[in-house]
Amino acid sequence: MLDKLLIIINTVLSNRGKNPISAITENSHLRNDIGFDSLDLAELTVRIEAAYDVDIFEDGIVNTIGEILQKIEK
Amino acid sequence: MELFYRDAVGKSEIYWETLIDDLNQSNFYNAYCKSEDYYTIFKQIILSLLLEESLVLLDADFTDDELLSLTGYADYASFTQPVIRTKYEFIQSKEHLLDCIHTSSTEWKITLFTSGTTGIPKKVTHSFESISRFVKKTTPDKVWGFAYNPTHIAGLQVFFQAFLNGNTIIRLFGLPQQEILREIRNFGITHISATPTFLRLLLPKEGLYPSVMRITSGGEKFDSKTIELLKKIFPNAKITNVYASTEAGTLLAAEDDIFTIKPEIQQQIKIENGELLIHQSLMGDSELNHSEWYATGDLVDIIDTMPVKFRFLSRKNEMINTGGYKVNPTEVEDVIRYISGVSDVRIFSKPNSVLGNIICCEIVKSNPELDETGIRLYLQSKLQEFKIPRVIRFVDGLTTTRTGKIKR
Repeated sequence: MLDKLLIIINTVLSNRGKNPISAITENSHLRNDIGFDSLDLAELTVRIEAAYDVDIFEDGIVNTIGEILQKIEK
Repeated sequence: MELFYRDAVGKSEIYWETLIDDLNQSNFYNAYCKSEDYYTIFKQIILSLLLEESLVLLDADFTDDELLSLTGYADYASFTQPVIRTKYEFIQSKEHLLDCIHTSSTEWKITLFTSGTTGIPKKVTHSFESISRFVKKTTPDKVWGFAYNPTHIAGLQVFFQAFLNGNTIIRLFGLPQQEILREIRNFGITHISATPTFLRLLLPKEGLYPSVMRITSGGEKFDSKTIELLKKIFPNAKITNVYASTEAGTLLAAEDDIFTIKPEIQQQIKIENGELLIHQSLMGDSELNHSEWYATGDLVDIIDTMPVKFRFLSRKNEMINTGGYKVNPTEVEDVIRYISGVSDVRIFSKPNSVLGNIICCEIVKSNPELDETGIRLYLQSKLQEFKIPRVIRFVDGLTTTRTGKIKR
């Protein structure tokens, strides 16, 4: 699951001309560690929704990879 | 020493004394202002006011192509002129500076660009009167969190509100969430004006920020859930939802999503066929707007008539509002259509929980080697970032409408 999320995250990063990252953990913070801004977070929601059929931001802001996993696994 | 501006992105703190020194030592003036540095932009606006020279504000991320089509130039070095001070010799103090600004400015004009409804962005020019009409007089102890692009109308209005009252400005735009919260706490920010998207992403899980007295938001739908959460974190803040446009600036304010037309402007605002119209006397000077009433393209639902109360429903035209930025799909389609190997394209929006709407794109290609990376690289040189589609799909034929409804 983490690997698949990493691919999605790196797609979003490279779409903005940002460098890909090599690993994520449950504690990785989307904005502080990965460096996502609102445009990136918006794209992330679309890509995760396409892959898992879940809108991760539907009921409030999600900050970490662990929180995304919780939403997907629900 | 009173702080004029703090910028954690540019790692600078500018005191009023420094600002005044910089203004006194400015020997050159250029009527075009394009800079990544907010202080450079603020200083240029103040200098233009002192010299009563007009100023054209350009977004820092405009591409050369965009600059050429908007202004006819992509390089502005030749517009630099020596400064001629006629109105004042030397600024002595903050009070003197603000006096000079208040007592001048009849000739002064500022021009900015907004997403046009017909294709390319359009030019809107404001006078000192039209830009400062809604500046409220407050005490100089207010501290403003600056959460907009300074070359857009909302940013300009916050700048004028703060500057004309001698308030401190703290940059929040472009900072990571943790740093924004730290700046609010450390500098005792009292006022924040920001888009709902900015505020949604700002919301911490917990914590109290009692210094904030007022939060103003607008530019897109301000959902009640965000308002509720904001009230918890900022217990002392009065939260206001405003309606503003580049052409008219701030016009209406509400505490929820229902706007009331105040008696003082009721002659200048009307609703026709469900669309909000604004009288030209409330407007800046737009090159595309010469009729008496300006059609905003915003469709409203009238709730009451005495006084008029209404709620915004949607937009009449196809402009996409993404995180408070308005994008004209036709403009983006026109740029993509130029790419060799593209035979057809459609830009549409999809509802998105972060930005309100997200820009998506479907491309029919005639050259099988055309790929997403190539298209993105090309678009980065042609369009401002917020206009570039976040989702690009290659299709055999266009299947969706602009509102994102997929024809199955």
